[in-house]
Amino acid sequence: MDASLKSSTDDSTDLAIRARADLITAVVLIALGLLVTYLSWTMPRLEARRIHPATIPGLVPIMLGVLLTLCGGLLGLRSWRIEAPGGWQGLVALFGTQQTRRVLAVLALALVYTLVLVGWLPFWAASMIFIFGFIVLFEVYLTDTPVALWRSVLWALAIALAGGGGIYLAFARIFLVRLP
Amino acid sequence: MFDGLVLLSQGIGHFLTPASLFNVVWATLLGLVIGILPGLTATMGVALLVTLTYKMAPDQAILTLMCVYLGAIYGGSRTAILLNIPGTPANAAASLDGHPLAMQGKAGLAMGLATTSSTLGTMVGIFFLAIIAPLLSEAALKFGSYEFFWLALFGVIISGQMSGSDTPLKGYIAGILGLLVAMIGMETLHAHQRFTFGIAALGGGVDLIPAMVGAFGFAEILSTMKRKAVGRVAAVNDRVVPTFREIFQYWRTILRSGIIGTFVGIIPGVGEDVGSWSSYAAAKRASKHPEEFGKGSQEGLIAAETGDNAVVSAAMIPTLTLALPGSAAAAVLIAAMYIHGIRPGPMLMVENPVFLYQVVAMLLLATLANLVFGLSLTKVFIKVLMVPRERLMAVIYVLCVVGSFAITQRMFDVYVMLFFGIVGFVLREMKYPMAPLVLGIVLGDLLDLNLRRGLLLTNGDPTPFFTRPISAVICLIIVFTILMSIPAVSKRVRAIFSRSSAESPAKG
Repeated sequence: MDASLKSSTDDSTDLAIRARADLITAVVLIALGLLVTYLSWTMPRLEARRIHPATIPGLVPIMLGVLLTLCGGLLGLRSWRIEAPGGWQGLVALFGTQQTRRVLAVLALALVYTLVLVGWLPFWAASMIFIFGFIVLFEVYLTDTPVALWRSVLWALAIALAGGGGIYLAFARIFLVRLP
Repeated sequence: MFDGLVLLSQGIGHFLTPASLFNVVWATLLGLVIGILPGLTATMGVALLVTLTYKMAPDQAILTLMCVYLGAIYGGSRTAILLNIPGTPANAAASLDGHPLAMQGKAGLAMGLATTSSTLGTMVGIFFLAIIAPLLSEAALKFGSYEFFWLALFGVIISGQMSGSDTPLKGYIAGILGLLVAMIGMETLHAHQRFTFGIAALGGGVDLIPAMVGAFGFAEILSTMKRKAVGRVAAVNDRVVPTFREIFQYWRTILRSGIIGTFVGIIPGVGEDVGSWSSYAAAKRASKHPEEFGKGSQEGLIAAETGDNAVVSAAMIPTLTLALPGSAAAAVLIAAMYIHGIRPGPMLMVENPVFLYQVVAMLLLATLANLVFGLSLTKVFIKVLMVPRERLMAVIYVLCVVGSFAITQRMFDVYVMLFFGIVGFVLREMKYPMAPLVLGIVLGDLLDLNLRRGLLLTNGDPTPFFTRPISAVICLIIVFTILMSIPAVSKRVRAIFSRSSAESPAKG
């Protein structure tokens, strides 16, 4: 009973947060829709090439721009009408949770690996460092049930060597695919 | 009719070579593992494998991808039963009854039922694929620009309508965003570059494979790592291979779910998850024991697993004959076919009639492999289930980078993958469905080209779009679909139907 009550209040906060997040998205979508409409309106109509005016390149984009603005507007209206007590606070609080920290950590690792390590180091080395760092970070630090550091390091080393090396061997040597 | 049978047997014979069977074995096993691991979906598996297979011969490459696709959809039922987490979104309905069965000590029975009903579902789908696809393909030869424009629009809209979990509006928005992505790059009618902002790499447009690897790979890694740690695996102490009676006492459910799955599969961009949920709901309505559903009903589990697997085979019908992807994974398959020089669409049966039957043979081989491995390798798969995500996801991300880079060998495609991963994650968190987005990217060019080509042919007069019979029908369906997604309209339409069915209860 208690659990079901708790989950139903969780659901309603979720709904409230989403309604407010939708409102922000709606504004972004309307802006994007208007931008697309403007860019398509000003897109060259190739008059010099005497193409039929009904076949201008901007025809479909302009329709999509208008439709996106319209849908964004409807979404905004819909979420404005939903009563969402505590929606804004919930949305702000969402950014301080452990879950958000985990997502940001994955994102940071992925960006560093893709934008910095790959290209700077050989692909296999970059991959091994990334895999090692990822496993240790999530097994020891960003978790509710941490594993002993030495255990995690050993596992991470093994997987990094096997994973990074294995992918390199499988793709570059067996399937003859070029790697970054 | 006999031509078809001859072509089918040739198709099966074509793959009865050691090399093909070897590919079937490893690809199905890989697919099963992908399906079993929570956070790895069928679409992601197929998208990543395109890279691995692109140096293979075309038939072997598609065979491999098909085995991975089918294996993953089936494998996900294991996780649903033992862990109460769907291994892929397609198996969410299976967890409703599969997990309670496992908790009652019938995990083996549940896995056996899921395995056999998956096989039967695929068989029903294959049957309709072999019958409907040649007919549809012949009819599609009469389609012109007008019809293809409406079909492309229909694909995006119906996918948006049926997969938007929160409101159809979000499905439509996802579809429009996908279509806008397809507008980037050189358009085909006048070779004008749109929305490239001076970036040379955008001239060719956004490639589907990196976008899909991002939206289904990287985005999935982000969602998986966000979740709290997963639960415990249920014990398996009973027999896995079911008896003939345990399965076939539900033959009505199997047939019904197979047909529903086939129907859902044919609708463009509406995938396995919808097939599974709709056959589950239909089975519950028709069942003599609806109260058992959700508490360990064998019928419910069979309905869910027959429904999603039938979708896979049926999704090939529009994919092969119209080049409209029947599901998100089928969109990747279309991209893979183009890479290998196979052009799906109405001309496929003219240019390459053998291929359709080869696809049927691939599905048959894949489902047989699923059946054998599913009933025999239970212990191994439980080990796979216990792999911690912390140790797996980093390796998967490396594969995402390789998968998006390797086809055109540009770092630009890796950045596309990153972009779509982040945007896909944010959209998914806010309950935007991914299928219409993918469909928009795939169908955008078709829609744009055929609209303007149609207008060019008529000198700017749009009437043929509304007066040609097939065009008019598709147009009406689209209008009806959009009207039905407006709550006030759909409520009234439903009220009319429920009133008329209440007046004649004998019919229901």
